[in-house]
Amino acid sequence: MSSNYKILSHTADIAAEIEADSLEELFREAFNFWLNSVAEIETFDFEDEIEINLKADSLEQLLVDFLNEVNFLLIVKNILCVEIKNLKIDTEKKLLHTSLNVQNLKDISLLKEEIKSVTYHQMEIRNKKDKYQVKVVFDI
Amino acid sequence: MNINGIELKKIRENLWEIPQTNGMRVPGRIYISREMLESTLSEDEALKQVMNVAHLPGIEKYSLAMPDIHWGYGFPIGGVAATNLDEGVISPGGVGYDINCGVRLAITSLTQEEVQPKLESLINRLFQNIPTGVGASGAIRKLSKADLKKILEKGSVWAVENDLGTQNDIQFTEESGTLKNADFSVVSERALERGADQAGTLGSGNHFLEVDIIKEIYDEKVAQVFGLFINQVVIQIHTGSRGLGYQVCDDYLKVLLKASEKYGFRLPDKQLACAPIKSQEGQDYLAAMQSAANFAWNNRQVIMHLAKKSFLDTFNMKESDLGFRLVYDVCHNIAKIEKHRIGNEIKKVCVHRKGATRAFPPGSEMIPEKYRSVGQPVLIPGDMGRYSYVAVGTEKAMEETFGSSCHGAGRNLSRHKAMKEAKGRDLVSELKKKGIIIQAKGYKTIAEEMPAAYKDVADVVDVMHKEGITKKVAKLKPIGVIKG
Repeated sequence: MSSNYKILSHTADIAAEIEADSLEELFREAFNFWLNSVAEIETFDFEDEIEINLKADSLEQLLVDFLNEVNFLLIVKNILCVEIKNLKIDTEKKLLHTSLNVQNLKDISLLKEEIKSVTYHQMEIRNKKDKYQVKVVFDI
Repeated sequence: MNINGIELKKIRENLWEIPQTNGMRVPGRIYISREMLESTLSEDEALKQVMNVAHLPGIEKYSLAMPDIHWGYGFPIGGVAATNLDEGVISPGGVGYDINCGVRLAITSLTQEEVQPKLESLINRLFQNIPTGVGASGAIRKLSKADLKKILEKGSVWAVENDLGTQNDIQFTEESGTLKNADFSVVSERALERGADQAGTLGSGNHFLEVDIIKEIYDEKVAQVFGLFINQVVIQIHTGSRGLGYQVCDDYLKVLLKASEKYGFRLPDKQLACAPIKSQEGQDYLAAMQSAANFAWNNRQVIMHLAKKSFLDTFNMKESDLGFRLVYDVCHNIAKIEKHRIGNEIKKVCVHRKGATRAFPPGSEMIPEKYRSVGQPVLIPGDMGRYSYVAVGTEKAMEETFGSSCHGAGRNLSRHKAMKEAKGRDLVSELKKKGIIIQAKGYKTIAEEMPAAYKDVADVVDVMHKEGITKKVAKLKPIGVIKG
């Protein structure tokens, strides 16, 4: 899986600067950053599909909620979301709809990291010259 | 001195002040040596975060930081701030995701010579009995919602009522292991789901259980009161409220982001989202945070019980011969309503300690009677290859830091850099050569948590000692570690 984000140096946690051509792509890349942080990609094997629908007060909140949602599914339900099939964002109403391929894990104790949460630290979605950018920091 | 564009004024040898500027309601004060200030804070945003915290409505005296200060979210790690109850706010950014992350120290009557022959099987048994790693679960039976409700309300009292501890354990836990205004009804279903199977689990990252020996004693009188002697085998447990606490923080950051807007607070960082303590939003967060804190105390209590059982089984001893006793349990991620002197008045304030330990002095009614002649034990773990410290609280801590001290070493290397450093090395053998046996879920954790990844905790503890905030009592050396 190619990664269009840059891992930033962070003493205690994990951070990345993400850039994409569209808002949807930005969310996809943020998802890939999460996925590569928690699991080894070689182990992926699709078994099922789930849908996620979210509403938030801001686009930043929508991104935090989306990443926290896939993280919750992993930590509590042992469901690893491995691929975004489709993703739509309504920027006016701050709505997200996505369907994802998932793998049901028997044991999550050997995953790479336990992400406590996605933080709001320095999170601001910027749109400059047709490029979307955001910094994402995971507390681990 | 200027660090990262921030002017610092020297107040004492190890105390620096950031003057009150635009929007800051109070000055910032950092307890740190010049050397640590220059070497550890020149590249991160921790000092800026000290300034940001000074913007909080109702903050009293100073935005403080302890010598293990480093980059956090909202508050820096090592940050302390007290807000008054009239106009003051409460902020999850001053507590952190791992609500009531903390440390407990328990002693045995065994010496290193008695433990050494069976040390390896002891560590294996501890690793077998105490779930570690990502999403660790199943230390005790899966809890029903009714059990969870009781844990959130009662803290470690629940464990004792379920034969997972003794009355003595309650007595030697900060706040007796229960914050009384916890309220189950303001904790989300999602948080409960994250906690349902995690009571008695260490988790991952920097959490650990360590078997140590007392290597050095600095204050014989205090050590004796705490029950410590040279060569004694003791254990330290470092963990918190696990997924339940992380979820409570997440849930209330959202609530308090809205509240910050509603009350018209202009804050320099979203992660400092807050609400007036008196408001409904503030009261709800306080009650949910207290519930998570109670979950954490119960967690460490259950782990300690499993550790005691591991000792009894390994050494085939009766409980009365093992001499296992909790010295103290402290939290280092919390916000608590406490009484402190502000000017000429004793006022109730909300003390946020984010990566900082309470350090109450001799005579305090808030510490166990047994320790009132000397002060509260302050537990400061270091990395797994060097040492940790036991210190004691002082009156000066009450005068200057709202009764607070440091909480640990703080990272020196990023996880990525630590992995690079560890490449081609056999850290398990290296630790074994130093007399330390380690068990972990995977080698990655050992690499990320390698001793060189952390600063020398002795430097941190010495700043607090020299400034008279806490006084050193004993130095601990690890001989066995289990990690996630």
